[in-house]
Amino acid sequence: MTEREALELATSAVEMAIKAGADAAEATLSHAKRFHVEAREKTISKLEGSTAKSLHVRIFRDGGRRVSVSTSDLTPESVVRALHAAVEQAAVVSTDAFAALPDGCGRFAGELALFDAAVAQRDDALKVDDALAMEKAVRDADPRVVNSSGSQYADSAAIIALANSNGFGAAYTSTRASRSSVPVAEAGGVKRTGHYGTAGRFFAELEPPEHVASKAARRAVELFGARKPATARLPVIFERDVAAAVLHDLFSAVSASNVAVGNSWLAERLGDRIGSELVTIVDDGTLPGKLGSSPFDGEGVATRRTGVFERGTLRSFLFDSYYARRLGAKTTGNSTGGGIGANNFYLEPGKRTLDELIASTKRGVLVLDTIGFATEHATGTYSRGARGFMIENGERAYPIDEFTVAGNFAEMLAAVDAVADDLIFDSSIVSPSFRIAEMTISGS
Amino acid sequence: MFDREIFERLLSRALRFGGDYADVFCERRRSYAFRLQDGKIHEGSSGITQGVGIRVVVGESAGYAYSDDLTIDALLHAADSASLIARSLPSGEERRVEVRASEIPKLYDETRGSHADASEYVALLSRADVAARAYDPRVAAVNAQVSDELQDVWIASSDGRFVHDHRPMVVLGVQAVAVRDGERASGYVGDGGRTSIAFYETHTPEALANDAARIAATNLEAIPAPAGEMEMVVGCGGGGVLLHEAVGHGLESDFNRRGTSLYSGRVGERVASELVTIYDDGNIPDQRGSVAVDDEGIPGQHKVLVERGVLRGYMQDTLNARLMGVAPTGSGRRQSFRFLPQPRMCNTYMPSGESTVDEIIASTKRGLYAKSFAGGQVEISKGDFVFMVAEGYLIEDGKITRPVKNATIVGNGPDAMTKVVAVGNDSALARGHYTCGKGGQHVPVGVGMPTVKISSITVGGTQND
Repeated sequence: MTEREALELATSAVEMAIKAGADAAEATLSHAKRFHVEAREKTISKLEGSTAKSLHVRIFRDGGRRVSVSTSDLTPESVVRALHAAVEQAAVVSTDAFAALPDGCGRFAGELALFDAAVAQRDDALKVDDALAMEKAVRDADPRVVNSSGSQYADSAAIIALANSNGFGAAYTSTRASRSSVPVAEAGGVKRTGHYGTAGRFFAELEPPEHVASKAARRAVELFGARKPATARLPVIFERDVAAAVLHDLFSAVSASNVAVGNSWLAERLGDRIGSELVTIVDDGTLPGKLGSSPFDGEGVATRRTGVFERGTLRSFLFDSYYARRLGAKTTGNSTGGGIGANNFYLEPGKRTLDELIASTKRGVLVLDTIGFATEHATGTYSRGARGFMIENGERAYPIDEFTVAGNFAEMLAAVDAVADDLIFDSSIVSPSFRIAEMTISGS
Repeated sequence: MFDREIFERLLSRALRFGGDYADVFCERRRSYAFRLQDGKIHEGSSGITQGVGIRVVVGESAGYAYSDDLTIDALLHAADSASLIARSLPSGEERRVEVRASEIPKLYDETRGSHADASEYVALLSRADVAARAYDPRVAAVNAQVSDELQDVWIASSDGRFVHDHRPMVVLGVQAVAVRDGERASGYVGDGGRTSIAFYETHTPEALANDAARIAATNLEAIPAPAGEMEMVVGCGGGGVLLHEAVGHGLESDFNRRGTSLYSGRVGERVASELVTIYDDGNIPDQRGSVAVDDEGIPGQHKVLVERGVLRGYMQDTLNARLMGVAPTGSGRRQSFRFLPQPRMCNTYMPSGESTVDEIIASTKRGLYAKSFAGGQVEISKGDFVFMVAEGYLIEDGKITRPVKNATIVGNGPDAMTKVVAVGNDSALARGHYTCGKGGQHVPVGVGMPTVKISSITVGGTQND
């Protein structure tokens, strides 16, 4: 399928929706070619290749009654039937003056570099070799790595086409590729899993299979002999991946959909100084080549850069057009076509390395991995199961696990006292490692 | 959706290079949903998920391809893509596969052909909204959603199986947010199962809304959870999330066949206190986690996972069962035709023991009463788990005292199960709203539990004493 064909399908879906009785409509057609290979030891354990299409239509009728329809059945009769049913379904939805197509659609004018022919055209046999090479390297890296949950290479090439009844229509094509490895190490009757991955829009950006394997192997073995730490209040360094998970929680708190219904601890705090000087958080959909970049968002609004926290001060929430109208703001180009999503949402990196952060910590905890998920966005409470290292006199003294790290987001942001330089855009929500001056560690 | 000959043709084509096994999973799922916010019907949605997934298995390798385009050319192309896994095999001859349609057990309402009238769903949401606000004046916001889904699956395999299952699923969820002096707290409950919205005539939206509002109001009064090791009493019903995470995932056969679970190779060994018995049951009528047949066409079963502390068996899909030389247990499940099946839980629960709830509480000097969990996660190889407590209370000198908020429980599966020192006589299945995630795939599950006491667990609160 070409961008033009995808756009024609989206445009015709909009026409069908209007014909079915909608006052306004928007259709997004996505078409993705996906490949995924997983190897274990010397065997290819999974080989998947498919093409997926789906159509997402939002319809509006009489004063903002709205219904969305998603379908993978693109036969015209089925689409027409689904759209008629949607118009009927909308009759019982409440009127809502804020529910409408966005006022101004468009696309970011600059070059975004979202497509890499080297990803789209790569030979399948080479991808299989990647997975097998990581399996070999991960076992060669450490004798304690005796097993694995697999090493994987995956890629996709996707077309997104969006059209609406205000006459907007545009499409773009993007690629994504990733490598990851999940070794299992065994020592003293205990098994431990490590995980490391690399991802990007461009093939050349990926870390080589050997790097992925050696980092994954290190993560599998480095926590052997871990102890449960004593319950205490200590400085905590969140390593890059774990720091990104904290940013995920912050993203929820600045999403206007949560702010509007009071499900955010930041709801009444716009303009307040909340974080330390080091907390500058940005959402930017216009960074060339990054995974969270795109020319327009899920409702056809041009992407842009939004300063969310500026040196600790909360400057903006993130909006789609609906919540922007509802809260008297302007959309920030964060629509997913039904919800609010991140573009590239990240904490500005600092100048010191992670090792320098550790070296400058007399006694504290380095968190390398967390499990669990916080659910209380309304109160801003953070609590996770964690594992990592106890830091003593600026060094990784010994591994620790089976503890929780807990705190309150407002206090955590205010206590950010060091940010590392290790930001990598391997997802749409990312963060460099950072240190929080004090949090509660619950152990024995 | 297609006749038998099409399935046979696809299976034969998929095995053109050989292979041990092939199957075709064809799905058409229709969903219908509404969401309420601010006392209004905020939006409606509907969806159709339709497509075919074709798998070829060679030893421990699986080739997979799916197509949402149902033309015969597109489906044959998918069969060809799936067959590539067997490309290097010597045989290279297309073989003729025949399948025979078989009847499957009746486990839920299979007669319903479509969703109910839109007004009925809207009425359920409005009733929940009114009830939650009426329960406590501090309830400032109510969010609720209802969805109704009908999934038809047709599954054919190279060993001759050909089945059709028609699976209904309803769920109604209510979140209440209570506010006092700028402080916020929320409560969420959901209920449903493989049935129709007639379910809510007896499981009323008012009952759900009252519970959501009660939890929100209770959490407004809650003090920060204590931090450190203490006794824990897990509430009946929703406490079953503990079994799901602490034991269940570790007994899925993919991890055990590969030797990556801490339970690998331990069938017949003691893995828990002898008070602990755990079942996984795909056959409970109308339950959210039930399957008349799983997503490989194997009938759902009642499985004994742990019996009086001894590990009895794993949950098996066809691939891992074949490699381990045992029978599949009806545990092969997938999110949709876009995914390979995985061994998964259905309804996981512990039967009743001997103790009364009063005895269990009275025997606890200082501990946490975790009445329900908001969710959890486990790390398979070592067995470390985490749970978020949705509704929790302190137990002081044998009495339930103050509510606590934001408690997280952290522990290790076999360690916690060995520390089970009392099992209540009140086993119950939790309300049906749980969804389990594994390897990027989400499937509906059920959990159940009597009141259970664990002698020591780490509570990750913020109150350090």
